[in-house]
Amino acid sequence: MVIRIAAVGDVHLDEDVVGRFRPALEELPECADVLLLAGDLTRHGTEAEARCVAQEFGGLAVPVVTVLGNHDHQCDQVPQVVKVLEDAGITVLEGDGVVLDCAGGRLGIAGVKGFGGGFAGRCASDFGEPEMKAFVRTTNESADRLGAALRSLDCDMLVALTHYSPVPDTLVGEPLEIYPFLGSYQLGQAIDSAPTALAVHGHAHAGTERGTTPGGVRVRNVAHPVIKQAYSVFHVGDQLDTDQVSPIGGSGSQRSWS
Amino acid sequence: MTNDQAGGAAPPDEYVEAEIQRLLTEDPAVAEQGITVIRREDALVLYGEVESPHRREEILRRVSERFPDVSITSDIGVIRAQAPTEIEQLP
Repeated sequence: MVIRIAAVGDVHLDEDVVGRFRPALEELPECADVLLLAGDLTRHGTEAEARCVAQEFGGLAVPVVTVLGNHDHQCDQVPQVVKVLEDAGITVLEGDGVVLDCAGGRLGIAGVKGFGGGFAGRCASDFGEPEMKAFVRTTNESADRLGAALRSLDCDMLVALTHYSPVPDTLVGEPLEIYPFLGSYQLGQAIDSAPTALAVHGHAHAGTERGTTPGGVRVRNVAHPVIKQAYSVFHVGDQLDTDQVSPIGGSGSQRSWS
Repeated sequence: MTNDQAGGAAPPDEYVEAEIQRLLTEDPAVAEQGITVIRREDALVLYGEVESPHRREEILRRVSERFPDVSITSDIGVIRAQAPTEIEQLP
């Protein structure tokens, strides 16, 4: 069983970017069963910017599944943004999931935006001022929703989609001081509470592509400034063509569809 | 704001750096969180990557406008958006 997943985050669309991704997106059916968008689709989260996202990522030949990012919340127009995206056929996840029938099996995707808080031993605690407690509780609730959604899906392969990072591994390159604003260990704990095959996130523009949760789940930071291409493609499964398998420490393998 | 300290050859101070870093995110005309401000001798250099040439120009314009007495240069790139040439196999 092999399921082909394309993913990118942090595309920050506005009128000045429309059309830049489209030529590459038209090639998606050749290499992927689904496109995941890891949040920060827009610059300020306006309805007008969401229409740019709908124009760029709508009407593709593969299903598109997204979570929102912090930028998509900036103008407090989340309901309007979600409606524009859904009207364009894009599935927007926030504490829920979707199961897609792919050629290689049923792919379950659970998603939340997530939130900050930091990582084990260096994280914020639910203690003290109301503002600090609200901050940490937002993280906890988001992670709880992600875990519940992951455990609820009946599928052959499970993928977690977030904007904030579930592990510090994929933040390497960012200043240590801002790690608590880039992700939280609770998201990793939620991912490890289910038989997740892959976790995909964005948000950390100066981070690193690859990481692993403490439970051994592969994590990929697909923020556009990190991957420096229209999207990354992951072929996930247990019957891969061994000629194509990446060597350990290698950066990948040549695309097989060209 | 500390514009009054930053005239002529005076080195940019940390408060100016902080102001610029916040402006890059909080100014609606910029709204970038991925730009780094680095101090080099008597100038500040902006590093990072954005989605369009227009945004790169707008960043330099807005920062120079707000801090006319600070010497600022930009080394900001535009992120490529071509289709990938490799896939990653995850057994």
